[in-house]
Amino acid sequence: MTQRTHLIWGALLACALFAGPAAYAQTDTTQTTSPAQAMQAHGYWLTTPSPDLTIPAGKSVTIPFSIDNETMVPHLAALALTGVPDGWTYSLKANGFDVQSAMTAPGEKADLKLELTAPAGAAGNSYPVQMTAKYDGGQLNLPMNISVAAISDTGATLEPELPGLRGTATSKFSFKLKLTNNGYEDAMFNLGADVPDGFHVTFKKGYGSDEITGLPVKAGSSENITMEVTPAHDAQAGDYPVHVATLAGDVTAAADLVMEITGTPSLSLDGPQGRLSGTAVAGEAKTFPFTLTNTGGAPASNVKLSATAPTGWKVEFEPSSLQALPAGGSQDVVVSIMPSEKGIAGDYMVSLRASADEDSTTASFRTTVETSTLWGIVGLGVIGVAVIVLVLAVLRYGRR
Amino acid sequence: MKREGSPLKGVGTIAIKEAADHMTSARMHLIMLLVLLTAAGSVWAAIGQIRVTTAEDPFLFLKLLTTARDPLPSFASFLGFLLPLVAIALGFDGINGEFGKRTMSRILAQPIYRDAVLFGKFLGGMLVLAIALLTLWLLMVGLGILMLGLPPSGADVGRGLAYLAVTLVYTGVWLALALAFSTVIKTPATSALAALSVWLVFSIFWSMITPFAASVISPLDPTNPMTLLSQYETQQALARISPSVLYGEISQMLLDPASRSVGPVFMSQLQGALVGAPLPTLQSILIIWPQISGLFAAMVLLFTGAYVVFQRQEVRA
Repeated sequence: MTQRTHLIWGALLACALFAGPAAYAQTDTTQTTSPAQAMQAHGYWLTTPSPDLTIPAGKSVTIPFSIDNETMVPHLAALALTGVPDGWTYSLKANGFDVQSAMTAPGEKADLKLELTAPAGAAGNSYPVQMTAKYDGGQLNLPMNISVAAISDTGATLEPELPGLRGTATSKFSFKLKLTNNGYEDAMFNLGADVPDGFHVTFKKGYGSDEITGLPVKAGSSENITMEVTPAHDAQAGDYPVHVATLAGDVTAAADLVMEITGTPSLSLDGPQGRLSGTAVAGEAKTFPFTLTNTGGAPASNVKLSATAPTGWKVEFEPSSLQALPAGGSQDVVVSIMPSEKGIAGDYMVSLRASADEDSTTASFRTTVETSTLWGIVGLGVIGVAVIVLVLAVLRYGRR
Repeated sequence: MKREGSPLKGVGTIAIKEAADHMTSARMHLIMLLVLLTAAGSVWAAIGQIRVTTAEDPFLFLKLLTTARDPLPSFASFLGFLLPLVAIALGFDGINGEFGKRTMSRILAQPIYRDAVLFGKFLGGMLVLAIALLTLWLLMVGLGILMLGLPPSGADVGRGLAYLAVTLVYTGVWLALALAFSTVIKTPATSALAALSVWLVFSIFWSMITPFAASVISPLDPTNPMTLLSQYETQQALARISPSVLYGEISQMLLDPASRSVGPVFMSQLQGALVGAPLPTLQSILIIWPQISGLFAAMVLLFTGAYVVFQRQEVRA
């Protein structure tokens, strides 16, 4: 008994001793002998980062996948997609081309794309799809589960930072808008705004200075837009709605804004026939018809007229003050300018001023002062007296 | 006995004869040569100065007459100084010379009145002066066009002609003065000296006399600053007795369009004024019209004095 037991143990040991080196030899035939590469993956695979995904119905989506060749030889694989329901459209793309097969060199990886569109009716269900790659040594299978969601593309949104601004007819209304592209695709958005007549709109990107007509927004990101609206100069006080919209294909986004224009009166004082110069004789009053106009969007109240003239001058206005001047209204003002009696001939500046509670304006009137012709007459009188003396002398002593 | 006809009959004949005599006399040739040389020299100097310093001026031709370059004075001041000399040269022996040559009785033997003799002498002299001044003026303008290569503007011509007319009146004052002296004083040499003395006094010494006289007439009161003004005004009034001063003020006003006043100007009068803006020609003339009419009246009154004295003189053969 003991002898037989020893024999069995010996046979087992011998088997073990022979079996070990045999297993090693078998491995060597398929694996490189380098110890550094001993741990590297080895094979030929078809992979995708998202094998189980949800796509929107009626939209084209792009699913990336790749073929990885980690063998010693190049492989040519014929690609096919099986299990795709009727009505779906798809195409395989690599480097922008439609492809039916892929060739991968040893150690290389081929990046491919599957463009897939599920019809609108497919929503709510889940579909098993299989991607296959047949090559001479076999077939690679990549099962995928594609769920189709009823939710459509959420499009884009346009959000104003401040929906209402207030200013005068001469100020510039600057709206900050945030345009978000919620879609799955990058899009080029055109910009447009409905404004009242005479208003002027410009769009700028962010805080830039270039005027734009549209801008590209990447899928899922947003851009800041500055919309500047310049009101018409004669815009009356009031609220003005501004409808701003963006359009990219069939995706639109819009926002309603309000501009509140607080009217201001704007006075202007115009000289006779638009001229701002005139002639007056020293010591004599001369009247000039001026026109006071309110070109602003609100009535001017408590308008007073005054003048800054050289000393000794008298400048009077008729009327010298107005209770109110309505927006767009005008009033004839007769300005009477009397240069000083001692005024020296020449040109002088007379500053005429119309000031309301809200606004004021100044007109510089160039007055040419002429010397009084009184002394000219006196001079002629002196000459006349001298000539009379001569004539009298001739009459008295003449004809001798 | 009552005499018939116009007292001025024959004036034209005498005036033209007188002018012809002047035109051919060596005296006139010499004095005009002097004037011509100095005038041409000063304008030549002015052109050189203008070319160097003036880029653009709306009244370029007036600058020809007023620009001075050392050592020559300007054309205008030359004329103011020398023209009385020309007038005195023409008129100092107008009447007493005829007596001296014993030709007065021969003239009066003609069928004319005595009036015509003096009027003719004065107008003949004025005719010669007018021709001489016009020639001089045209010469200057021509020289200016030639050297500057620009035509004179309308305002230039207007002011230049006004200046020419006033210059003629100014010269007429001195001619009337010389004629008056030749009537009053019997010897031509004495009357020439008398006229030259007046010319010297008014041209050179008057500006020295008037400050003295003014300080006597309106003395300064240190506590009253207004006396400063009144003294200045007195001085100016006295200075204006001189035809030279009047003529200087007129030529300044006419030839410098930017000047506005010949009297004292207060700061308050200049407030708001646009200094440097040229006045219209008519305004400039209006400002110095008192001076012009003063000169004209002086000419007429001096002639009247000479006339009265001459008419009352005894004329013997």
